[in-house]
Amino acid sequence: MPQSSQDNSKLFDEQVSRLHELHYLVLFWAAQGEGRGCKYNITNCFDDMKSAGVTRTKQTAVAAIEGLATLCFIDVREERNRKNIYITRYGAKALEALVMNNQFQPKPSAFLEEQ
Amino acid sequence: MTIGIGGAGSKIAAKLDSQAILVNVSETELNKVPGGARRILASVHATRGQFRGSRKNPQIGLDAYQSVRRELLELARGNMVFCSSGGGTGNGITTGLLQDLSQATDIDTANKTFFGIILPYAKLESNEFVNNTIEFLTGPLAEAIDSGNTGNIVLFSNKKKFEEKLSEDSYNQQLVESLKLFLSIPDKNDVYRLLDGHIDHEDFALFISKPYFNHFTFLEYDPAIPFGKQLEANSNPLLLEPEAAIEALFLLEVPRGGDPSMFYDILEYFSEKNVSPIYSVVENPDRQKPFVTVALLYSRKPAELVDDFNRITEQHVQAKVKKSLDQNVVLHKLDVNMEQEARRAVKQRGDTEDVLATLRRLGKL
Repeated sequence: MPQSSQDNSKLFDEQVSRLHELHYLVLFWAAQGEGRGCKYNITNCFDDMKSAGVTRTKQTAVAAIEGLATLCFIDVREERNRKNIYITRYGAKALEALVMNNQFQPKPSAFLEEQ
Repeated sequence: MTIGIGGAGSKIAAKLDSQAILVNVSETELNKVPGGARRILASVHATRGQFRGSRKNPQIGLDAYQSVRRELLELARGNMVFCSSGGGTGNGITTGLLQDLSQATDIDTANKTFFGIILPYAKLESNEFVNNTIEFLTGPLAEAIDSGNTGNIVLFSNKKKFEEKLSEDSYNQQLVESLKLFLSIPDKNDVYRLLDGHIDHEDFALFISKPYFNHFTFLEYDPAIPFGKQLEANSNPLLLEPEAAIEALFLLEVPRGGDPSMFYDILEYFSEKNVSPIYSVVENPDRQKPFVTVALLYSRKPAELVDDFNRITEQHVQAKVKKSLDQNVVLHKLDVNMEQEARRAVKQRGDTEDVLATLRRLGKL
């Protein structure tokens, strides 16, 4: 049975409300990276999370990335042995919603600042 | 002829070649290695005799290189050199050798040196080993690759040794057996009946004199499975993973009465990768199944090699620093400048607005 757009929008709000700071940062850095035309991969993301002090374990970083990929907020593409992260249109909407809610504060990505 | 520099390099060289020449800065270490035909003690200025090694300090190895410089440069021509990049002797002396080779202008193809370099396993080996390796990869090795004056460089990794908890001797044994299998390719062309292609000693020498990284591996070939998949599943665990191949060589050994035409599938695989390998097919009556020995030559910027190293090292060092900080916490009084804080907050707000503008520009919003 096709879902109504109201259902879709409810589901989207519900998905966004369940995102944590970690998810927000992945979306934020992936968008920034894409804007600057550089490949942002899982390892860069993990390094940034560590230097931002949001997690210390790779498992948590990978779980956040996989969660976002499952929700179709990001695409993770394997390119030249690196798993690069790209934000999807759906993910861009989610990031916009998070920014509008002013729920989390952005943190600088050490990797992107070096670029 | 094989030359082993430092403890690790000497052990491998002596296992590989009974005529090996072993080089060390410590007489004690030099005498500990069994086998080898000749031992060269590189001298350092020491008031207490030369019984101490280079204590993981490559500068000591580099200083000692001066005493054997001319001899080693002569011996290395057209031969194989083994060393480790972690310690002081292998790293230091090989650094000197690579620097001289980089500046040489008279090295022809037949005189290029094949290098086997053993890299430490950053996760479990000491920081000095890892830091020495990083300096080695970015400095002399990078310079030597750029000069094109070396032959193949094989990067062995200690990863398997540590992960499988192998004794040094059995790890070295595996490494040497693997190398011997690769180096026996032209001999097999001499000994066994040739069915297609041909790799003679000159072809092989030309191949190993090219200034690229070499990843060689072996597999029992099953014609029912695509070659690419088999190659991927059977990369040599003793070596660093290869990048895309630039050149390749393979030897297919088929059992008696086996179908030699299966090598076309391997050629097709390489042709898809735009690589034209040199190859040979021989009939080896001792084999029950087809067996392939493959060598891939690939190029990798030392910076990329170091990237992988750095990542592991930094995590490792950060964990150590964090641990020592946790144990010794000093609280500083923070002087917060409100004006600066306000500026930072504005900049941060700007960041979030920027990112939305970026997404709009990319057509995602």
